[in-house]
Amino acid sequence: MRKLDEKKEILYVIRTLDVLMSSGVGLEAALHSIGKGGYGIISKDFSAIMSKLSSGKSRGLEFEIKAMMNKAESDGYRRLLNTMYTNLTQNTDLIETLRKQGKRMEEDRNESVNKYIEDLGGVPETLLSIGMIGPIILAIVGLVPQILGDGAEAIIGSIDQGMINSIVDGGLMLTVLGMILIGLKAHTKDPGL
Amino acid sequence: MIFDFMESFNDNMFVLFLFVIGIACAAGGIPPIIERNRRRSIENQLPGLLESLSDAVGAGRGLQEAMLEQGRNTPGVLGKLLTETLESSHASSFDAALSAFASKTRSSQVQRVIVLIDTAIQQDAPLQNILSDLAMDYERLNDLMNKRESELAGRGILIVLFVCIGLPVLIAFIVGLFAPAKSGYQINDFNSTFSNFFAVASAVGALVSGRMMGRMRDMLWWVPFWMATSMLLYLGAVKMIGG
Repeated sequence: MRKLDEKKEILYVIRTLDVLMSSGVGLEAALHSIGKGGYGIISKDFSAIMSKLSSGKSRGLEFEIKAMMNKAESDGYRRLLNTMYTNLTQNTDLIETLRKQGKRMEEDRNESVNKYIEDLGGVPETLLSIGMIGPIILAIVGLVPQILGDGAEAIIGSIDQGMINSIVDGGLMLTVLGMILIGLKAHTKDPGL
Repeated sequence: MIFDFMESFNDNMFVLFLFVIGIACAAGGIPPIIERNRRRSIENQLPGLLESLSDAVGAGRGLQEAMLEQGRNTPGVLGKLLTETLESSHASSFDAALSAFASKTRSSQVQRVIVLIDTAIQQDAPLQNILSDLAMDYERLNDLMNKRESELAGRGILIVLFVCIGLPVLIAFIVGLFAPAKSGYQINDFNSTFSNFFAVASAVGALVSGRMMGRMRDMLWWVPFWMATSMLLYLGAVKMIGG
């Protein structure tokens, strides 16, 4: 969930940092501005960093950013934190790097949305196939004793109705589980727009 | 005959209960749809407004004046809200009016843009470039969101149609045809098991459909409705075909 939230907000955070820092705001003030809210999980992270800094318990912004890198789950967020860390320790051109990162991230986002649309193309048919084949087979299994009558015992021996019911129930549960697993793709592969 | 048909559902309390809950929840599911349409219409107009503001600021106009003029020229909810808020700003400050406008739109895109504009004004940053960059950014984002919505909406509807309507009717047809109750088949327990299965399958189908379009929370309102629909369709079709 955290990864998805990070992916959703990271591009906006980069754009905001770009605007703020291009107009002369320092990194710490920019982080404070983002930490005030509006950028989901990243706002919370930056707010926590600023609280630690203002409480006087922190060893410095660079250490807090480095610590946050371990917490970050998405590549983009980790890359942004790394860029900020490098800027703080080696005085690199942060604005230029942010612009490049923003451009790259936007390309990644476009690609992941197109891939998401492509990947989900077959979901309706797959859901219908699994949702249809399972119940059809299980409906026949459930009704076999009644449809075949006495002939059923001659073909497959004595039939325990309780066992047939258990097979049908179990099969239907497996079918639902299969449908959930197919549907899960829609959640796990979400590009986070 | 109709009452006879309706009374056949009396044995299945769960369907009747779910039907009532489903109707009530479906009514609760309409406001999120209206709100989403309103928000998306505002967000789709936002890049155009930002571009016009960038041009106006570039031509030497003040931001407040440019906003008021663009608000009057922009059709739809966005223009109306902007004009209303700025006209009421005579009694307060421009910053307060911008914040009020952002919160009235209830759109995170607009709120982010307003925060950025506000910061840019405070920092004396080049507004024309910022507005133009924002316009391009949000245009690309909205294009992507619209593409996702238009391409996946059809598939989402297909899932609901297949799983919540097609599947129960198909199985009911098979059961009703090959094991009709009027011929003495004991299928009450069987029907109860299968109708519960269709309810769960419909819930899964509806949620997957909602997740695909990025609106699973809104879809939650419709889950009981689709569950009840699939159960009623199955039980009704079995009754009609199999007697």
